[in-house]
Amino acid sequence: MTIPPPTAAPTGGTAKPAGKRRQLAPYAFIAPFYVLYTLFMVVPIGTAVYLSTTEWVGLGTPDFVGLRNFANLARDTSFHKALGNSLIYVLVSVFVVVPAALLIAQALHTKGLRARDLFRITFFLPMVLSPIVIALVYSLLLDRDYGLLNSVLRALFGGGNTDWLGDPTLAKVSVGFVILWRWVGYLTIFFLAALQAVPKERYEAAELDGAGRLRTFTAVTLPAIRPVTAFVVVTSFIGAAQLFDEPYLITGGGPGEETLSVAMFVYRAAFERQQFGYAAAAGLVLFVIVFGISQILNRLLSIGRV
Amino acid sequence: MSAPATERTERPAAGAARPTDRRTGPRRRSGIPGRLALYGTLTVLALVFVAPMVWAVSGSFKPRGDIFEYPPKLLPDPATLDNFRSLLSDQPFWHWFAVSVVTAGLGTAVAVFVCAMAGFAFAKYRFAGKRLLFNVMFSSLSVPFAVIVVPLFILVVKSGLSNPWFALTVPWVAPAFGIFMMQQYIIQSIPDEIIEAARIDGAGEFGIFLRVVLPLLRPSLGALAVWQFLQSYNSFMWPLVLISDVDHYTLPLGLNILFRAEQRQFDLVLPGAVLASVPTILVFLLLRKQLLEGLSTGAVKG
Repeated sequence: MTIPPPTAAPTGGTAKPAGKRRQLAPYAFIAPFYVLYTLFMVVPIGTAVYLSTTEWVGLGTPDFVGLRNFANLARDTSFHKALGNSLIYVLVSVFVVVPAALLIAQALHTKGLRARDLFRITFFLPMVLSPIVIALVYSLLLDRDYGLLNSVLRALFGGGNTDWLGDPTLAKVSVGFVILWRWVGYLTIFFLAALQAVPKERYEAAELDGAGRLRTFTAVTLPAIRPVTAFVVVTSFIGAAQLFDEPYLITGGGPGEETLSVAMFVYRAAFERQQFGYAAAAGLVLFVIVFGISQILNRLLSIGRV
Repeated sequence: MSAPATERTERPAAGAARPTDRRTGPRRRSGIPGRLALYGTLTVLALVFVAPMVWAVSGSFKPRGDIFEYPPKLLPDPATLDNFRSLLSDQPFWHWFAVSVVTAGLGTAVAVFVCAMAGFAFAKYRFAGKRLLFNVMFSSLSVPFAVIVVPLFILVVKSGLSNPWFALTVPWVAPAFGIFMMQQYIIQSIPDEIIEAARIDGAGEFGIFLRVVLPLLRPSLGALAVWQFLQSYNSFMWPLVLISDVDHYTLPLGLNILFRAEQRQFDLVLPGAVLASVPTILVFLLLRKQLLEGLSTGAVKG
């Protein structure tokens, strides 16, 4: 099975000799983005680099401390914990949520399925809700003493004193489940659109070759939707690596630091402990990792070229 | 191997009216048991998605003591509006609502315009540095907010701009995702000939954008607007860091303090959550087709 080669040649669209205004127009059109990008992304990142070399409680002048913040981060077990937890969130997103979305999309793509739009919209709904709404509903449902989940378990099996948000492992599972619940319908949209765009002839050819369902899936479907898979994987990776809302709202990072993410670590250092330099350093570490990996992935998978 | 953004199709209007081959799925006749299993699974899944929301809506109409009763009653009995009344009378709920809706609305209106303009430039012009500028724009998608939040907070506070009307809107009116989405859509759905024709008629470049391109973009502008509105309305970390005055809280922040209050006020939190979700669910249901198709247009070529 082959895929049409990329037509990567940049197409300028309308290219004819024209006046100065026309040459300048595109720059004027993208100028607002670049002004905002400079002010609210480049300048802050530059400031973060400066702050990361200082110790500062938010008042007075920051004290220059060189690379001490980074040395401390390397020894800070909380930071290691946060990195580990964020890695777990990334792994859950990429290896559980993404495949689940593909499975659901595949199911929704079944020939002649009724109520496809109803299902698609229902699965997408969590994406529309505020994370705070999701978090408070789930923390009520998962509450150890009076949550609905434990009530159901109690009625069915007796016991039912499981501490879904207080046990180190279960707390991670709970946060992971909420991530799945919130994101899977969103990612399904991309996979479903991709599946619908696969040319019918390829399936017919596979059928003529006598390929079974699994073989068809691996030999026809997966290669054909590879670009979208790449896009979805990178998007999920970036989203999960900077996860803040779910652990902050559902478990507060607890029990202990068992669900603390890197973004929460940054927040806690800066806004609860007034260690602005240390927080900036932790943010930079996350930036280097996420930005670096996604640039490599983009290059490898050739996403986002003009 | 083609990637979402590399493959260039100059097919006019492919994205807008992509023929969705709804009846040409890959599955061959799988028989009635297979069908039943499929519908069964999908229905159970749908219940998993809907049940927590139904529980919350139902609970918001129950007296405090009934919220956690087991087995939970689907229909509240007795049903009461007291929770809503005390939420609206004791808490500055409408303040929070106004801050959220106004900042999200303003930001969205500007963002849609800025993104369409930049997307148009990247889609239909050839200019020096285009590839580099596009890559810079695109790579900003992979900058985690956690690296920006601390310095941005300090910069905004130091320059005296920490009021919600500025800080919740201006920094976010040029989302790279929106520019990318617009660029993809314009490539797919706006033929060069229309732009050429307008030029021959003597239209200026900005005039072409405003009077020719923008009207043709309407469906995808709707998608982008919904998306942007949701992002802003639901955003949590930045308002949490920024806003300290309770009257300037956004809805998520307001719900957060209710939830964290000493005696965990479920009977206020649930109606609050329900009321907060009404606008976004309404907007989504009204514009669902545009949003779902618009979102996937960028990643999947028609």
